[in-house]
Amino acid sequence: MAVATPLITIAGVGKTYRTTSGGVVKALDSVSLEVQPQEFVVVVGPSGCGKTTLLRILAGLAAASAGRVRLRDEDVRGPRRDVGVVFQDAVLLPWRTVLGNVMLPALILGLDQVASRRRALELLELVGLQGFEDKYPHELSGGMRQRASIARALLHDPSLLLMDEPFGALDAMTREAMNLELLGIWQKAKKTVFFITHSIPEAVLLADRVVVMSARPGRIVETLAIDIPRPRGFEIFGQPRAAGYVTRIREALGGASQGGAAL
Amino acid sequence: MATDVTRAVLTDDDAEGEGPLRRSRYAERLLAPLSLVLLLGFWEFVVHHYAINAILLPPPSKIAQALASGLASGLYLKHFLVTVGEAGLGFCIAAVSGVIMGTLVTQFWLLERTFYPYLVALQSMPKIAIAPLIVIWFGYGGTSKVVIAAMISFFPILVNVVVGLRTCDRSKIDLVRSLSGSPWQIFWYVKLPNALPFMFAGFNIAIIFCILGAIVGEFVGGEAGLGFLIVAANTTLDVAQVFAVLIVLAVLGVTVFLALQVIHRKVVFWAESDDINRYS
Repeated sequence: MAVATPLITIAGVGKTYRTTSGGVVKALDSVSLEVQPQEFVVVVGPSGCGKTTLLRILAGLAAASAGRVRLRDEDVRGPRRDVGVVFQDAVLLPWRTVLGNVMLPALILGLDQVASRRRALELLELVGLQGFEDKYPHELSGGMRQRASIARALLHDPSLLLMDEPFGALDAMTREAMNLELLGIWQKAKKTVFFITHSIPEAVLLADRVVVMSARPGRIVETLAIDIPRPRGFEIFGQPRAAGYVTRIREALGGASQGGAAL
Repeated sequence: MATDVTRAVLTDDDAEGEGPLRRSRYAERLLAPLSLVLLLGFWEFVVHHYAINAILLPPPSKIAQALASGLASGLYLKHFLVTVGEAGLGFCIAAVSGVIMGTLVTQFWLLERTFYPYLVALQSMPKIAIAPLIVIWFGYGGTSKVVIAAMISFFPILVNVVVGLRTCDRSKIDLVRSLSGSPWQIFWYVKLPNALPFMFAGFNIAIIFCILGAIVGEFVGGEAGLGFLIVAANTTLDVAQVFAVLIVLAVLGVTVFLALQVIHRKVVFWAESDDINRYS
């Protein structure tokens, strides 16, 4: 098991957009990356560096213009059942209860309703939303909504969890609490996580490996293994090692944004 | 008038408040009926004092008499049911065809390209103007009224269905797509419920349009219904009767509107609170 085959193989992926005015925008340029099973990879980059595009390609929501993306040994050609996505905003359906929202993947994928319901209730407990099953999204706080959306992404037991700045819209206090909770959930659920953020401390706290991307066209400028023992908390930032990682990522970002868009 | 009644119904729910607040609410609620009593009194006084001919403006007492006798004899009920039947049937036809047509137009790109320009062009045409033609084609009976009612209420429903299905959050569609959902699943789980508030906005307009359509049809050429009753009373210069029927029509309009509001709030319970939350 030591020499595991990578779960995700991204090889030379590029993405160009045609704008309405006829111009061509290069969002991603020959991005290559391998992610191991159960690894927590965090991508950091300035706004507009194509990190969301990369996630959308992994989710099968967008097609790459160049290169290949493989999950285990299959090419990603469209959305897949073994992937769960957590979007920037929670994207809960306002007309469904919390439980109804968490159950949505079961309806779409045609899973067994009774078993899925049991799993949904377990997941709601895991994310700390027990007792809120029958509430509607507008009755929840922002943090609670994002927790519900994490439970939803886990319902069909995907091996890969894609998270696109899931806590970006939350206030700082809630965000820190959610970071710690996500670590707890990750340790219990044993998923591979591909996480996007523009917060450097968030990246250092969460990641096994931090991938730093440059501004448009998005390229990987540095990959950094975070060698800090788990379980981690915010006290790691008292250690010189964590502070060193933060500085290195900031420098990599600084170099990356030269000539490109400002950070 | 309709909005006044809605407001009264709305404040009913929160009337359970503190003492002083509650008292002032009661006083406030007396304002509207009180002003009506004053207006009617003034009207009655003016008609008698200046001896205005009842053919021009009957006093409220005469109108009340006409209303009472019309209600007692069952005359109003008979014609009321005719008009409600025509408008109701017209609404059902318009709602079903509007929702189906709107769905087809938004789901199939080719249909949109082919038909939507014509639908938009038709929508801007005053459809009441075709009423005489419809009566010629469908006869003096109820059918022509149903057709007119359906025709003028079809477009507000269609337009709202189209707008509702189109203004769907990209992210909600992506959510279902990311789970490898089919276009049909995207429609059923996201687009359709997302369009419901818009559909109800269309229904609200359409239901009033339907009554209007039925009445106009009866004006143009009919044998029964409240519109027919108005025309008949008009030709015999029974103006008190005309006013009495107008009151019946107003009650009908308000009742239908309120009933739809109740259903609206039950079905799309999330709409208002969600909009507020989204920007908070």
